[in-house]
Amino acid sequence: MSANRHKRLRLTKAEKRETAWFYLLISPWLFGFFALTVYPMGASIYYSLTNWNMFQTPKFLGADNYIKLFGNATFYTALYNTFYYALIFVPVSMIISLFLAWLLNRNVRGRQIYRTLFYIPTLVPVVVSALIFMWILAPEGICNQFLALLGIQGPSWFYDATWTKPGLIIMSLWGLGSGFVLLLAGMQGIPQELYEAGYLDGTNAWQEFRHITMPMLSPMILYNLVMNIINALQLFTQPYVLGSQQSMPGRAGLGGGIDNSFLTIVQLLYNQAFKQFKMGYASAMAWVLFVIILILTLLVMKSSEAWTYYEGESR
Amino acid sequence: MRKAALWNRILTHAVLIFTSLIFMIPFVFMISISLASDSSVVLAQYTLLPTEFHFENYWNILFDTKVSLWLRNSVMITLSCTLATVASCALVAYAFARLRARGRNFWFVVCLSTMMIPSQVRMIPQFVIFKELGWIDTWLPLIVPNLFGSAYYIFMLRQFIARLPRDLDEAATLDGLGYFGIFARIILPLIVPALAAVAVFAIMANWNWFFEPLIYLNTEDLFPLALGVKILTATTSSGAPPMWNKVFTASMILIVPMILVYFVGQKYMYEITLSAGSAGVK
Repeated sequence: MSANRHKRLRLTKAEKRETAWFYLLISPWLFGFFALTVYPMGASIYYSLTNWNMFQTPKFLGADNYIKLFGNATFYTALYNTFYYALIFVPVSMIISLFLAWLLNRNVRGRQIYRTLFYIPTLVPVVVSALIFMWILAPEGICNQFLALLGIQGPSWFYDATWTKPGLIIMSLWGLGSGFVLLLAGMQGIPQELYEAGYLDGTNAWQEFRHITMPMLSPMILYNLVMNIINALQLFTQPYVLGSQQSMPGRAGLGGGIDNSFLTIVQLLYNQAFKQFKMGYASAMAWVLFVIILILTLLVMKSSEAWTYYEGESR
Repeated sequence: MRKAALWNRILTHAVLIFTSLIFMIPFVFMISISLASDSSVVLAQYTLLPTEFHFENYWNILFDTKVSLWLRNSVMITLSCTLATVASCALVAYAFARLRARGRNFWFVVCLSTMMIPSQVRMIPQFVIFKELGWIDTWLPLIVPNLFGSAYYIFMLRQFIARLPRDLDEAATLDGLGYFGIFARIILPLIVPALAAVAVFAIMANWNWFFEPLIYLNTEDLFPLALGVKILTATTSSGAPPMWNKVFTASMILIVPMILVYFVGQKYMYEITLSAGSAGVK
């Protein structure tokens, strides 16, 4: 039923009642939306234009916080680290998830078991995965012992500024199961006839993947991509837990590891807001992060018009 | 041809088994450290496969006052947040799925778009609000926001309710049931599997919750276990290194219940993500 057909100026009594009930029933969400989203977002813009430590009255500064932010070397370090992490982690985790899902989609015996094994790491709290990977990637830890067996001298990971971010990426890849499960479910939903048609046309495995699986799966890939980017740019817990370990260099400062090499934007923001109470400055940082996320999301969405395929759409 | 297919199968399994082993290494290592003796911990020498089996570590930790308190806190926070989320989301989802009103589609799109807003732009003013209310260092800032629903769960439940036949509502209306009556007597019993799925997601998220407990709670006795594990890794006042066997024993206590929840809730979760996931991107 289209809404237009019902567009009359006057509502009947029953319709009025239904409308009233509708707003009554969604009122918990509506209240939360205004109190915990709309007002905070507005307030956050205002704070970002002030100098405020939570105790005195805010002092209006205009764009000063933003100017200060873009002149701050530590902010660029955090920006660089966050982008480095996101730009490598998101594609790598996507490729591995797709590959594993594709392998499991070929009527493999024990599919359920494999699926469970790949998914279970996502149930581990990130605090715990940070701690265990700190040991796995210890300079003389099991990873380097294994590499030594292959004759490779492993790096000291979290104690070497060039290897901290790859270490974080490896740690996060352990939790790729949630995206993988979605992709596998999506692959299993692709109609079998398409593959049969492909078989008759004599497609090989790569062509089948490239011309049947990928297009049919593209909406789900897009969804995963967007969510992964949003989450990756907000990375906090893993570097925070690592950076506050006793043995980690830079613990007394921002907790971003050696030379702040794994300091992320949200970690810096947390420090400014809840350690130093620079609420205005931290709010400005939050808005810069918001704009970055927004632009990247829009870019991915825009580009997706070229590579996603929706059933029932003519092209 | 048949030989090639056989090799193909062997290769597939080889890759899958190898990957599975890699995915299991952190668990094995965690168990190994959790079973280590205190003296091995001091030397910081751990092996991937356990060589010592101090199962009493698990027994002892349950009598550790801090850890048992944190575990209790986790259970209480998780249960209250989950109950609040499930109840509020079901109600809101029902309204979005069934009631016709001007502005419904507008508010639904608004609701969905809140999923994309990174929490950082709301976090500081929210903190200020809860501070003004005097809620800092209590569980209220963690629990109360759940009463207002959560966009993703509202969306999943709405999709589920929208697929139920409308005749049910109409028949109930003829029987004299009001909107709330239809929700409570007709819809609610039918969406139990979907509610179970939402509950499982919420339990997992709340159990592992880190950031908000970190900023809102100061008193260690109020911490959930996920935050407590981090406290266990702090150096003691006497300067002794953290007892890593204890850290990973506590970690296992954190992980095992979620694995159980996963096995119980698996079938519900899988279906609902699939239906919401594929519809969500279209």
